[in-house]
Amino acid sequence: MQEFLQQVVGGIANGGIFASLALALVLIYNAMGLVNFAQGEMAMFATFVAYALVTRGMSYWVALPITLVVAFAGGLLIQRVVIRPVERAPILTLVIITLGLAALVNGLAGFIFGYVPRSFPSPFPTDTVDLLGVFISYRDLGVIGVSGLVLLAIYLLLQRTTVGLTLRAAAHHPEASRLLGVQVSWMLALGWGLASAVGAVSGIMVAPILLLEPNMMQSIIIYAFAAAVLGGIESPLGAVIGGLIVGVTLNLAGAYLPGVGGDLQLAVGLAIIIVVLILKPNGLLGRAATRRV
Amino acid sequence: MALLELEDVHAGYGPTSVLHGVSLSVPDGGVVSLLGANGAGKTTTLRAVTGGVRWSGDIRFDGRSLRRMATEDIVRLGIAHVPEGRGICTELTVDENLKLGAHLRKDGAEVRQDYDRVFEYFPVLKERRRLSASALSGGEQQMLAVARALLMKPRLMLLDEPSLGLAPIVVRSIFEIIRSINQTSHVAVLLVEQNARIALDLSSTAYVLEVGRVAVHGESAQLQGNESVRRSYLGY
Repeated sequence: MQEFLQQVVGGIANGGIFASLALALVLIYNAMGLVNFAQGEMAMFATFVAYALVTRGMSYWVALPITLVVAFAGGLLIQRVVIRPVERAPILTLVIITLGLAALVNGLAGFIFGYVPRSFPSPFPTDTVDLLGVFISYRDLGVIGVSGLVLLAIYLLLQRTTVGLTLRAAAHHPEASRLLGVQVSWMLALGWGLASAVGAVSGIMVAPILLLEPNMMQSIIIYAFAAAVLGGIESPLGAVIGGLIVGVTLNLAGAYLPGVGGDLQLAVGLAIIIVVLILKPNGLLGRAATRRV
Repeated sequence: MALLELEDVHAGYGPTSVLHGVSLSVPDGGVVSLLGANGAGKTTTLRAVTGGVRWSGDIRFDGRSLRRMATEDIVRLGIAHVPEGRGICTELTVDENLKLGAHLRKDGAEVRQDYDRVFEYFPVLKERRRLSASALSGGEQQMLAVARALLMKPRLMLLDEPSLGLAPIVVRSIFEIIRSINQTSHVAVLLVEQNARIALDLSSTAYVLEVGRVAVHGESAQLQGNESVRRSYLGY
């Protein structure tokens, strides 16, 4: 029982990481109906920025917000420079552009920082705390805390502020929003910036667990896809719930199913994607695609 | 003085041209009807004003040309456009739709007064504030669209077929409220309608479009009294 609970808590921590990246995917999907395949690579690049700051002696807690601001600006810039000129192109064109972007960012990181895996500092001690008989590492608690805060901040921004309101309106009803004076094009850019910052959190949280190198996010993005699809690709809350479920499922499967712990872990993520798409294509919180006739 | 002026406006979608030189004007604080059959170009005329379709000629609002201006900048000048299909954000709640209407305003105290006024006009919206806008009936959605437009504190409202698909009693109450908005807040109205009878009752001037051109225009009362105009263009 105790070990089971420990696996669950570890799963929730991993789930927070997946949820952040899944939320990034959902933000962009909502804004333009596009799955951003470069999301993981953008997060990886942001993590290298954090790494560069920390190894130059900056405190982790200063480097983190700076990195998020840089990631935000980077996302905004990518939307303005790369996506905006082809905004009205067919969705397949956009998908291919994000794939190209993923390759580009990956190569750029390799070119600048090299492919040698580096250990990324964690601000949380690795020892564990005894919570009612369950041993939980400070690192897991820290990851849960940071991702929880970030997700809460995004929730409050979207639901409680005027900017969030116009962001949601522009995403779902661009034509009607324009007639109300909403700068729809800038809202899309803002969505990319936010997504980029939220995704960066997942990279920074996962880097101490894995090792930092240009391909670090390639498995994480699969789990994030699984989380987003499971939650309903249009639902921010669904992304969070999906992330937690995927995290816990992976941990439990790794602990209790023979063989899944290592090489087959990714297969669990893919299996979740496939099963959801077959059984419940709109995900847990997604609405069925209906059209008024 | 004219608040909105269209001068020889040509417009269309791609190779299809819809407007072939429309000229009309809406006086400050006035109510003008734009009538005509399906496909005459009524909706396209409104869309030209708020930059939803490419046009040539000239469109001026308050003496300023709207040429090459983006939709979101045009509406910020004080034009509230309730489009065909009402433009309700069905993903959002009733309250959020109303907030969007007022989101650019800085005059907080007046915004609150306008909310009170809107809920006085449409008490049902107050009851349903927290509901998703998609849960409203057609008539309630039309009320929400007009209420939201009012919260933009516009100088001119463009209304595209507010009567469409609504029961006659709902139509009458909405038109009464439009009249009241016009009279108490001095908001000018350019009203596109198929229902010529009720539009002419409300407006002081009317234009009848026929295949992208103004076929007849004049005072609403005169058009109403002119049997040949009524028969050939207004269908009643």
